[in-house]
Amino acid sequence: MTGRHESVGVNVENLTKTYYPSPAWMKFLVRSNIKQEVVALDGISFSVKPGEICAVVGPNGAGKTTTFRILVGLTTSTSGHASIMGYDCNTESVAIRRVVGWMPAEDRSLIMRLSCAENLRFHGRLQGLKGEELNKRVHETLHKVGIGHAAESSVFALSAGMKARLQLARALLSDPRVLILDEPTGSVDPVASHELLNLIISIVEEQGIAALISSHRLEEIEALHSHAILLDKGRIRYDGDLDSLRGQLDRPTLELEFVSDHTAASAAAELDVSGLGEVVLQEANLLQLVLSPDTSVGTVLDRLAPRLAEIVHVRELQTPLRDLLAQMYARGEARKEEES
Amino acid sequence: MTTATAEHTARAPISSVASAFLRMDSIEDISYPMSLLLGELGTIAPVLIYYFVGQLVGDNPEVGDDYFTFAVIGLCVSAVLQSALSGFGGSLQRAQNRGTFETLLVEPVPWVFLPFAMNLWRVILGLIGGVLIFGLGYLLGANYVFSGIPQFLALLAFGILASMGVGILSASLMVLAKRSQPILTLYGLASSLLAGALFSVDQLPPFLQTLSWAIPHTYVINAAREVLMTDPGTFSIGFGPAMLALAIFNIVVFGTGLWLFARSLQYARKMGMLSGY
Repeated sequence: MTGRHESVGVNVENLTKTYYPSPAWMKFLVRSNIKQEVVALDGISFSVKPGEICAVVGPNGAGKTTTFRILVGLTTSTSGHASIMGYDCNTESVAIRRVVGWMPAEDRSLIMRLSCAENLRFHGRLQGLKGEELNKRVHETLHKVGIGHAAESSVFALSAGMKARLQLARALLSDPRVLILDEPTGSVDPVASHELLNLIISIVEEQGIAALISSHRLEEIEALHSHAILLDKGRIRYDGDLDSLRGQLDRPTLELEFVSDHTAASAAAELDVSGLGEVVLQEANLLQLVLSPDTSVGTVLDRLAPRLAEIVHVRELQTPLRDLLAQMYARGEARKEEES
Repeated sequence: MTTATAEHTARAPISSVASAFLRMDSIEDISYPMSLLLGELGTIAPVLIYYFVGQLVGDNPEVGDDYFTFAVIGLCVSAVLQSALSGFGGSLQRAQNRGTFETLLVEPVPWVFLPFAMNLWRVILGLIGGVLIFGLGYLLGANYVFSGIPQFLALLAFGILASMGVGILSASLMVLAKRSQPILTLYGLASSLLAGALFSVDQLPPFLQTLSWAIPHTYVINAAREVLMTDPGTFSIGFGPAMLALAIFNIVVFGTGLWLFARSLQYARKMGMLSGY
């Protein structure tokens, strides 16, 4: 399938979305939970190239789902511009729907009484496929996501992992150029979720698809080693790869285990005043030191040279991604307060 | 920016969309065989009731010389039109509640196809119910003028379209209101009282008779009696005027219904409330 701008993928420029309450005269008619203006997206810009996976991370209410819904045409933006392969998401709805495969967060979007194959046949027909072509595509897609053996099983009998694979198959059925996956591993156990992500990575690489994935599971996002966008309260806090983020924020932590509690305590006291770093934990015979920016592990060991024989283990610890993000969000909050 | 490729702007043809919904809805319904069977039995059960009522009523100038046939035609038409009326709203509500509605909207299907395609299976079930009522009535002694059947089918087709139009109007509001279908409720009440399915419109007070002219059921039921019965009673519309009235009604209601449905979806997109229920 060729497109208008095959090399573009997803492009979002200064996108905003504000949800407004319904006018008072419509309250009787319109079932809406919005009581006051909510700024869901506040001028975000990013792009995703073909063959690239972009992880969208953020706490609840960050704007991840709103971004995805604007891209697939289920919500309109308030201002700014979003396009996929050059097609405008607000005005070129049919073309967008032809080139995008969407996997919503909820597995109840599948038709539970129908078999896996019938679910895909239903959507294939809505895409205009028919006859042998339809059956061939359904068969191939189910095999591609690893549930070809369950083609005739009813959806309600499937495990959460298989339902997620079927949802992925539905998104892939139209041979899309862009995949938008909203928490694809949300209800899946860790092992199945790891397998699913590997499957997504291999499909994206094989077919040169641009993929946007949101997830709450930060260890999964980190394992993708991909481009990441960190959203918070409708703004982008970080746009880049997670390794660079770690380089910017993560200060190495050294964990030292001593032969006795007493040695650990005296080493902690010495390091505390040394200026080499900050002792963040000293418990029994263990201590943890967050190194100062210019301090190397060797400098610390050199400082502890008289006690080297009393050190049992030395480990360098990596700060969990969630802590790094928490730090970043806290900085963002502080900056916002300063601005206001 | 270059122009969009034809492949990307190609919409699914309505035949393909219709077959998708027809197959899905039929598989779902047939997977609950007892519910399906009892539903159809419930549709035809009133024929037995009016068989005995017909024996009590006897000859009455307002309903003609054969009340049972008079009532069976009313029941048959009402069953078919009711399915066409409520089918789309029911399917839409199910899709909203189950969470499948948005997956339909992201497919390359023009949204105006949905009211027709999502209603198709319900209309077919309604027609099956109508055929069963018609057949059971015949077995129990209803007297039809069989030469009027082509005209009857034409009336029924226009009536189905009119009911679908009202159903689309009602369902359009449900996209926003999520649950209630105020138009359908009011229309259902009005049609059961005013259309003369089981009694002659002549028996209504004059101001209600005037209101009954605004309801397509009235035209279909009463014109159907005129083409299928030798003595259809005193209330007369005529086949030609009934078809003309239905055609005008269809043009107005369909145009308004599809416009309102598209507007409701656009408003729901803007307000971010397509997924709610």
